[in-house]
Amino acid sequence: MEYVNPEGLRLDGRRFNEMRQIVAEVGVVSKADGSAVFEMGNTKVIAAVYGPREIQNKSLQKKNDHALVLCEYSMAQFSTGDRRRQKFDRRSTELSLVIRQTMEACILTELLPHSQIDIFLQVLQADGGTRSACINAATLALADAGIPMRDLAVSCSAGYLNSTPLLDLNYVEDSAGGADVTVGILPKLDKVTLLQMDAKLPMETFETVFALASEGCKAIAERIREVLQENTKQLEYRRAA
Amino acid sequence: MGLPDSSQDLSTEMEVDAFRRIFPLRFFERHLSESLRPDARPLGKARDTIVNPGLVSTADGSALAKIGSTTMLAAIRMEVMTPSTDSPDEGCIALEFHMPPICSPTVRPGRPADAAPVISKRLSDTILSSGMIDLKELCLVSGKAAWMGYLDIYCLNADGALFDAALLSAVAAFSNLEIPVVALNDNGRIVAISGGKDEDNASIIEKKAVNKEKRKLTLKNIPFSLTCILHKKYILADPTTEEESIMDTLVTVVLDSSDQMVSLYKSGGTVLAYSSAVKSCVELARKRAKELKQILGEMDID
Repeated sequence: MEYVNPEGLRLDGRRFNEMRQIVAEVGVVSKADGSAVFEMGNTKVIAAVYGPREIQNKSLQKKNDHALVLCEYSMAQFSTGDRRRQKFDRRSTELSLVIRQTMEACILTELLPHSQIDIFLQVLQADGGTRSACINAATLALADAGIPMRDLAVSCSAGYLNSTPLLDLNYVEDSAGGADVTVGILPKLDKVTLLQMDAKLPMETFETVFALASEGCKAIAERIREVLQENTKQLEYRRAA
Repeated sequence: MGLPDSSQDLSTEMEVDAFRRIFPLRFFERHLSESLRPDARPLGKARDTIVNPGLVSTADGSALAKIGSTTMLAAIRMEVMTPSTDSPDEGCIALEFHMPPICSPTVRPGRPADAAPVISKRLSDTILSSGMIDLKELCLVSGKAAWMGYLDIYCLNADGALFDAALLSAVAAFSNLEIPVVALNDNGRIVAISGGKDEDNASIIEKKAVNKEKRKLTLKNIPFSLTCILHKKYILADPTTEEESIMDTLVTVVLDSSDQMVSLYKSGGTVLAYSSAVKSCVELARKRAKELKQILGEMDID
């Protein structure tokens, strides 16, 4: 099947280095300490952060002088194409762990000892790249909750089909059987916190795909920064009134 | 929740917030004696309601309903199944209400919220007993194939009156629902027809289509609900979470579009209701049903 036509256009009309449209909004769940909606094309995710609050299950606490970070990833029953999902399947558990470790690396947990930070992610529509959308949404929600972080954690995916590296795969491109590289970086510190890949790639190709994904991450970081600054301006207007 | 008066200094503003936390009942009663609530609503008025259909493109029908801050997202997926032998001409609806941990600080992961299965069951009973949906419309081939509709409602923000918002989102999702086009293929199985670009598809549609085009369900007797709190001699319509946590007697009245009562629910509580109180609740529900009917009507036109 042809994923990139001879003119260089993909199935949805994008070029190889174009991302899908991003919509990001902060403060959508009024009951949560911090929340955000993040959409990449048709993939829609809501993140809500509760914390820092009292630890609810003391047996989970491993480090006394650091905050405990918990994360739960779940997909709505109507989020994917045909089949209804089991509520807590292995993929959801794996993603919860991956996202928790990514966010834990960038939250300054030593500033909030004896407390718990809960990050809840709900996928409302899945069209490829849910992992990345969740990390971006979680970053926005943590910033909205005022939790101190080292840097913004942003994530983007890239793949390799028809001998072309492609940025931000959607579901059809992802299930094509080519490689899928998901990268999570801390942009200001220029450090990689998450790197996952399946399928085979030669080393040079991998480096090209990885570089493309990092570019995508930087673009998302710009966008997230804009959204947060706009939100701060709004808060300032309301307070001054 | 109101903006602080700019003529007062900071210390008085702090006291109001502290008073609200430490003596919530007295704080509310001070407002109730003036026939108001802290968010400046009169006692019988519900919060601003918005309904947005068709948000989830992966579902066959969907809607988002917001009453104040309470947000519910409902989506329906249709699947083909074999009907049971004692009702071969009828399809089926399976309803599930989820309260994911994002909606409220009191919901813990791994442990479903206490309210979720209760609301799930009440919603299911209300929708089926109101007769809004004729299950015979969901039949495809008598005795062999019928539609099963999976309705999932997700609470995205829990701020009181969960049942009302969930019912509204379910009704809106059903009115947004478009049943997909299917045909009977040679093996006697139902297959989905997409787009209709092939000539093969066109011939199948003409010969064996069971559903010629995407159609909507006819909804009659649409149920509308209103939850009220009874406290001493006051009746508060459409409570928020704060009000529900302080005053525990809730009455839910469900009326349908022809003003008949579909369901009445009062599950205990410290206040014992005289029949006059129940009648007042029904009156408030009647007014609310008119508002909701108008909101749903506007939604359909869009």
